[in-house]
Amino acid sequence: MTRSPNKDVLFGLYDDETKILSAVTQARAAHLDIYDVFTPFPVHGMEDAMGFTESRIHQAGFVYGLIGTLTAFLGMTWVFTSDWPIIFGGKPYWSVPAFIPVTFELTVLFASIGMVVTFYTICGMGPGILNPTLHDRITDDKFCLAFDVTDVSDDEKAKFKAFLETSGAEEIDQKHL
Amino acid sequence: MNQFTFEAKQKTFLLGFMILGVLCLVLSYFVDSEPMHVRFWSNYLHNTVFFTGIAGISMFILAAFTTAWAGWHTGMKRVWEAFSLFLLPGILLFIPIIIGMWGHWHHLYHWADPHAVAADPILKGKSGFLNPVWYTFGTLIIVGTWYYFAFKNRQLSVAEDADGQGVADNYWHHRKMRIYAAIFLPIFGFTSAAVIWQWVMSVDAHWYSTLFAWYSGASWFISAMAVTILMMIYLKGRGYFENVTDNHLHDLGKFLFAITIFWTYMWFSQYMLIWYANVGEETIYFRHRLDNYRPLFFGNLIINFVLPFFILLRNDNKRKYGTMAIAAILTLFGHWLDFFLMIKPGTRLTALEAAAEHAGGHGAEAAEAGHKFVSFAAGFTMPGLLELGIFLGFLAGFVYFVFKQLEKAALVPSNDPYLDETMHHSVWPYPEDGHGAHDAHH
Repeated sequence: MTRSPNKDVLFGLYDDETKILSAVTQARAAHLDIYDVFTPFPVHGMEDAMGFTESRIHQAGFVYGLIGTLTAFLGMTWVFTSDWPIIFGGKPYWSVPAFIPVTFELTVLFASIGMVVTFYTICGMGPGILNPTLHDRITDDKFCLAFDVTDVSDDEKAKFKAFLETSGAEEIDQKHL
Repeated sequence: MNQFTFEAKQKTFLLGFMILGVLCLVLSYFVDSEPMHVRFWSNYLHNTVFFTGIAGISMFILAAFTTAWAGWHTGMKRVWEAFSLFLLPGILLFIPIIIGMWGHWHHLYHWADPHAVAADPILKGKSGFLNPVWYTFGTLIIVGTWYYFAFKNRQLSVAEDADGQGVADNYWHHRKMRIYAAIFLPIFGFTSAAVIWQWVMSVDAHWYSTLFAWYSGASWFISAMAVTILMMIYLKGRGYFENVTDNHLHDLGKFLFAITIFWTYMWFSQYMLIWYANVGEETIYFRHRLDNYRPLFFGNLIINFVLPFFILLRNDNKRKYGTMAIAAILTLFGHWLDFFLMIKPGTRLTALEAAAEHAGGHGAEAAEAGHKFVSFAAGFTMPGLLELGIFLGFLAGFVYFVFKQLEKAALVPSNDPYLDETMHHSVWPYPEDGHGAHDAHH
């Protein structure tokens, strides 16, 4: 399955991480709306240049963890006190210390799997999903700055193009995703 | 300000608390509901172990960071160097306990009484390790060795300030420090366990736990981090350490948080295995504490796990001076209380048994009687005001010594190869200079 955002994207390719970092900074200073930036490896300082704020995924993680805690603890409580009570080593049915390792494990499991699934969903990734690429060399040695030009006036588009030209892009192209 | 000045006002303040500590210690010799002056001796042992441990762990922190090629902490490493030098007063503090053991002035350790050992097959079996000779030389040689490394590390670090030439001399000071650190780590790893068994675990002479050294070592680590946080907040407030920003505080907070969870993991692992196996001679340790020290037993978990866990969970909280100060005070006191609970019940039982024996009771019967319900006693069931005074006295002594050491060298290690890294340390998404929204009121 190919995931299509149905967008016209104008993009420029740069051959160096320092060039794209300064291009992104300039674009934000000029109030140009960046669609996205694609690089073959994580570029140090890019989060700040793109103006990202802290992700809230850990807040989701806390909630998932809490669900895991409750699932494990309440689940074991139900099983060992009313559903199928068994005496283990002379301990009471409701043996809290024995529940803690399982509770801990399920907390971690729920939090980690929940966060991975959330992250994949937000990023539109997953098994069998193909994301269209703008250019093959983005995964090799080129750094890409992309603008969304769907339903954008020609004036605006010319502005984006002029910016890419002046900021040092060595190749400029447009593609429908 | 790169040079610390130990002001007369601070000296007077700290000396005042030290005198209070000594007064409380002397008073606890006379005000004691239990026999054998055990309140005095256990208080002395408790605080000596606690602060010597903080010093040892500070050297461990420095050695571990140096070996890991860490650079974020470089701006504040002088504080840990000063802490680690407290190992020398630590050795001196142990000398009265050692002399007292040879002179039979105290009954802190059941195994130090030759009559008890002769009549007791378990103590006899352990006497190869639990005996006054081992205790004496173990303490002096092991802590002495730690101090040697702390001293060498400090010496090289200060020498680097004066004649380190960076690339020109191939950073030889730092390379040498790295070698000392790498040698120190395994030595500390094994010997810290040995002294913890001798000093703390053996107060319950019949009992043992293979996890004990990890558990009390984690307790020391958190205490050392808490003292560091308080020290940094105080010194920054006085205008020192401008280069230590919210980002560094954030990382100290992460350590406090992480080791708090590690401590809880150790505490629970020790508890659960003993609870599950339910072997009488192991379970007695927790049975006794649950029966007679219940508020401390559960209070320990609340102060040292539940509260710091939720206080330190959020990123932003680890960057707020007030919140961090509260978390540090809470955990410092909490782990002092943790050591209190490790040491007090055992020493009290030993004293009660020894007193019963002296009164003519049969050893085994006395031991039997000792494990039953013991009544409330200030300084044992709960720390009394005297214990708090002694704690503050020791803390003041520790801080006094640390300030003395800080005065002797520049606060910023100007030729350290990692200085640049510590200056630009940042925790994303917060800015490098640390002047976030929360810095406005400082």
